[in-house]
Amino acid sequence: MKKRSNKTFPLLYWRRIAQTLFLLLFLVLFRLTDYKGEDQIPYAVNIFFRLDPLVAAAAMLAARALISLLLLSLIVIGLTLILGRFFCGWFCPLGTLLDLFQTVSPLKKEKSNVRRRNWKYLLLGFILLSAFLGFPVVGYFDPFSLLVRGMTLSVDPFFNYTVGSFFDFLYRHGPSFLSQISESIYSFFKDTLLAYNQKFFYLSLLSLLILIAIFALERIERRFWCKNLCPLGGLLALLSRFSWLRGHIQTSCRGCRVCTQICRMEAIDQTGGIASADCNLCLDCLHLCPDKAISFAFKKPEQRPVPLGISRRVFIGTLSSALILPTFLKVRAETKNPDPTLIRPPGAIKENFFLDRCVRCGECMKVCINNALQPCWLEAGMEGLFSPRLVPRIGYCEFNCTLCGQVCPTGAIAKLPLKEKQKTVIGRAYFDRNRCLPYAQGTPCIVCEEHCPTPEKAIKFREALVMNPEGKMVTIKQPYILESLCIGCGICENKCPLEGKAGVLVINNPEGMVLSKIAMF
Amino acid sequence: MNRRVFLKQCALWTAGLTLSPPVFRLIPELWAEPRASIVSITEGTDYPALVSKVLGPLGGIQPFVKKGQRVVVKPNIGWDRSPEQGANTHPEVVKTLVRLALDAGAAQVLVFDRPCNEERRCYANSGIKKAVESLGDRRAICTYMDNRKFIPVRIAKGKSINDWEFYKEALEADCYINVPVAKHHGGAGLSLGLKNIMGVIGGFRGKIHFSLGQRIADLNTVLKPHLTVIDATRILLRNGPQGGDLKDVKILNSLIASTDIVAADAYATTLFHLKPEEIESTQAAYQLGLGEMDLKKIKVVKA
Ligand code: SF4
Ligand code: SF4
Repeated sequence: MKKRSNKTFPLLYWRRIAQTLFLLLFLVLFRLTDYKGEDQIPYAVNIFFRLDPLVAAAAMLAARALISLLLLSLIVIGLTLILGRFFCGWFCPLGTLLDLFQTVSPLKKEKSNVRRRNWKYLLLGFILLSAFLGFPVVGYFDPFSLLVRGMTLSVDPFFNYTVGSFFDFLYRHGPSFLSQISESIYSFFKDTLLAYNQKFFYLSLLSLLILIAIFALERIERRFWCKNLCPLGGLLALLSRFSWLRGHIQTSCRGCRVCTQICRMEAIDQTGGIASADCNLCLDCLHLCPDKAISFAFKKPEQRPVPLGISRRVFIGTLSSALILPTFLKVRAETKNPDPTLIRPPGAIKENFFLDRCVRCGECMKVCINNALQPCWLEAGMEGLFSPRLVPRIGYCEFNCTLCGQVCPTGAIAKLPLKEKQKTVIGRAYFDRNRCLPYAQGTPCIVCEEHCPTPEKAIKFREALVMNPEGKMVTIKQPYILESLCIGCGICENKCPLEGKAGVLVINNPEGMVLSKIAMF
Repeated sequence: MNRRVFLKQCALWTAGLTLSPPVFRLIPELWAEPRASIVSITEGTDYPALVSKVLGPLGGIQPFVKKGQRVVVKPNIGWDRSPEQGANTHPEVVKTLVRLALDAGAAQVLVFDRPCNEERRCYANSGIKKAVESLGDRRAICTYMDNRKFIPVRIAKGKSINDWEFYKEALEADCYINVPVAKHHGGAGLSLGLKNIMGVIGGFRGKIHFSLGQRIADLNTVLKPHLTVIDATRILLRNGPQGGDLKDVKILNSLIASTDIVAADAYATTLFHLKPEEIESTQAAYQLGLGEMDLKKIKVVKA
């Protein structure tokens, strides 16, 4: 059913090509967010976040500083002022995935409700105001954060596991001719599609459910998320009210209103007006109008203020909750007594600045070479949900690695030169003498000392005469920590041979965190 | 029982056709040294030349690698450290051994280890992956170990452990060349040839450390290298096994080679001004009959 609007390649196809390419780019960059044999990641794997004006606005408001990493988003702002919400129609990978979902299982009848359109503005206002007041929530609503985090914590590990166990099965139980073929396919996959290692994450189910919810909303309206909820969409919509490129319906229109029906953003009203704040330039209407009555052209916008349609009561309610909530955070117990097991990645700026700046994108957890960085549940308080923390029993911080600082898009984790990172104290280890073998049982064990990576080892021994399990008095080396040398990397806790809880444990070191000034540039 | 029977058992066991895990028992004749143990030592700064030289008194590579054989060269790639830091085997030494094996007509030469730090970082930073790949020979493969290829083995002669998982490719090799680096080790005293076996076993290795020296010896009863070449081009004197401070590294420019792993270790111990009996694993291995540790009975040949 190829309908040719004119002799040239329809613009609509260009949009689809752009969407496909940007989605692929997004996926490729996602895959490249990993150690690839180089200490430096040569690609700007966080480029999508750095183009995101919502992330930029919220992080800068929270930090009250210009974050140069994020200035790239000015490009998107500039283009939006000219082109309108092209970002949502042509670029955003989440938008593309939602469109794809609609192609796979199209929605029969929309249960649309225009009043929902304003939610995104309220959400946007709430996010920006509370960011300014020290209650960082942008990460829970920014589309890239949602997507990258969801993929990192759930989709990717799940995909990896499924593919891995399939080939594993063939390897173990298949006839040898088959497993020979399957193994070579597997090794090809490992080099391309799959992550190097199977990763494990806390909150993976929750992250998945959030993603599922966004897609489930497509059962109510097409692009429900984009039209009604996405605060980035809201920001771009506000800008688009001044954009120059606009769709117009010409006099040749016979009023069939096919366009109103097919518009995924419901930007065309019954009278044929195309709202620039909603239109994401997908160009479906241009292509499908039977009269070819729709055209897009650059025009200086008439200064017609369109009301946002937010009632005063709702507006004030949003405003005051954004004002009040941050104050509550100041009086929670966590403020006075932070969780001692909350260990931030090396280069993380001071805790309260860190939470403000971290957009919960999950890039650091994706890149962490040892799967050491995990999303917080409530360890950093409610507003710390999904922010990264080191969990030594799952993975330790690799002494020669600086990857997380390289991918953090907002500078919440500063990019440290290797020399400096190796001296950055993220925590301190201590021995639990009730568990550590040489203390608790009189059994010799030196595993932690062997692994301690500091050039002069932070774990030392003293000899002690103790009774061993056989009741004999023996001289044994008992380990202890030289605090001034320990950087809290956690490899000792990670490699401790005791099952369950280790005999050496790492707790955080709030004074050791990098001052925020490093991260500003 | 010989290797072939053993491997057949392994195959049956992995396929789930038999319930009893395979037992690997070396027949005594195989490891009774007919002659006095020869330890060849050499010194020099041209490492590739040094490797060929140190093999001289043992008859070169030919007695060990026959045409068409599958060879394993097992270096120490344990740590994310650079060659100068002395925590891993020197890449030039590994590369030369691989090249010699290839020249002798090996059908395949595998190089692998099970590192303590992240494996990709260790393979890269140690320089070993690049060195092996620089040979440009498709028969020489420096690979990461595959978790699925560890098979449980009963250690019939073990005094402290009686079963553990071993890497299949290592057990299957026609020729197994052990290339450790000589270095200080907080728990074992020194890490030499015997200790290098830790890189081909599976499981939670931390558990081994409770009675380390004896267990290292026990493990060595399962897999006896045909040749051990100890890299003492530079040795780590303190803060081993991973070091990190160049002040702890001493340049010796030496290599030690022997078919007797215990003798090689015994001699290497003297480089640290220690006596063989001070190293628990050497002592335990000697008592298990794995080789000679009495320096008076070892024939040291300067190549
Ligand atoms: S936490 Fe440590 S190991 Fe993980 S990415 Fe950051 S620097 Fe690398
Ligand atoms: S956390 Fe443990 S391993 Fe890391 S520096 Fe401190 S003592 Fe050493």
